Amino acid sequence: MSPEVAADARGILVVRAGPGANCSSIGSAVEMLFLSATVGAAVLLAVSAALKPEPPSTDAPPSPNSPPESHGPPGDRQDPP
Amino acid sequence: MALPATVKTRPEPFGFWLRLPDHTLVAVDRPRARALGLDGGPLWDDTVAHPPTGPLEVHVAITSRCPVGCEGCYQDATVDGRDVPLGALCETLDGLRDLGVFTVAFGGGEPLLHPDLAPLAREALARGLTPVVTTSGVGLTPERLEALRGYAQVNVSHDGVSGGYLAVRGVDGAHLADRAVRALVAQGTPVGVNHVLTRQNFAGLAETAAHARALGARELQLLRYKPAGRAATEAYLSRRLDPSQVDALGGTLQALAEAHQGALSLRVDCALVPLLSEALTDPEALRRFGVFGCEAGAHLGAVRRDGALAGCSFVTPPVSPVKPPRRALAVLWDTSPAVEGFRRWVTAPPEPCASCPVRGVCRGGCKVVSEHLVGCFAPDPECPRVRAASAR
Repeated sequence: MSPEVAADARGILVVRAGPGANCSSIGSAVEMLFLSATVGAAVLLAVSAALKPEPPSTDAPPSPNSPPESHGPPGDRQDPP
Repeated sequence: MALPATVKTRPEPFGFWLRLPDHTLVAVDRPRARALGLDGGPLWDDTVAHPPTGPLEVHVAITSRCPVGCEGCYQDATVDGRDVPLGALCETLDGLRDLGVFTVAFGGGEPLLHPDLAPLAREALARGLTPVVTTSGVGLTPERLEALRGYAQVNVSHDGVSGGYLAVRGVDGAHLADRAVRALVAQGTPVGVNHVLTRQNFAGLAETAAHARALGARELQLLRYKPAGRAATEAYLSRRLDPSQVDALGGTLQALAEAHQGALSLRVDCALVPLLSEALTDPEALRRFGVFGCEAGAHLGAVRRDGALAGCSFVTPPVSPVKPPRRALAVLWDTSPAVEGFRRWVTAPPEPCASCPVRGVCRGGCKVVSEHLVGCFAPDPECPRVRAASAR
């Protein structure tokens, strides 16, 4: 993933293309995993764009030196992420 | 307001789940959520333990009625089955709303035969739920086609061209599936094709994908054949993919993804993920794009025809002497042994799952398969890694 994409996608843990329509087992789009990284990056950038514009925040931005406050992506924790 | 009202949000201990207007689900961490003006409130208090958060998607059986009689029907639907009344289904929808569920997938039996198909979609939407439905296309009439307009997507079951459908189901409904897909596409309803992979139709997968695309479907959902309902017999062993087909699955999907890029989305169900454990070895990539294995009791739940909560549609929870109200799903989700058992097993699976690099996303594979073949929850016996470990 390029630095630009990584920066834009920061904080996006999971993207699940939806909704699908299967009534038995949950389904996940997988073409991003089999195609070039460009395709996956495009998906992330599109989602990031959908989450803009970001509002003015009253919180102070995290210091570049402070540890990220990320609790890991879903699927990785039984005590959910 | 940072996010438009069309974005549904759900706080989580890790941050937030968001549903975008196109129904894409996005998980963001706390800083990103804050930047969007969201606050997780008590769920962001790390000093206390939190109960499991609700599923993202729940499957709801609305009827046990189906005239087709497929040999491997996982619900054992019959021609004289019964519909669940709309009032009871609305109580279930209340429960799903309270759980914070995003998507409700209606199934059967044959959902098209339910008399309240259109009101059901409206009731789901009124509760902030995205309604989707799966059908075989049997019984499609102009009125029922119209009723399907209310659904975000309709998937039509199609188990293969050139005799594949007949080989899998024992009846040939391919022409009905074709007709349904064409009609849905013509009226502008988003439509996908559900395709159950078996030993008998695997060789025709490329042809079936091309057919689905030509019909106008926007996605092909591949499903693993599972030993549930009428498929929970010895015949399962001759229907499931054979080891060479499992080993070829990754390459086959790669070829399909390249052939249909941008024209036909390719999806796999949670039960197929363990079969790809040798082909997809980057757990970060799997996680980022939400490709998870067994989701029962986690992102996925199911409500059976009698209102009982289950980890997924393929498991039959023990009959409870006390029938809890349908709208009490939020309480049941936290306490029901029927779903808690899935969570407990995933927490500490045995080898070879314990040391598997994709354990966190695969979650040990399909428990319905392991229960059928081994008699209990166990590492998925059809996973290539598990097969290799067993052979050592």
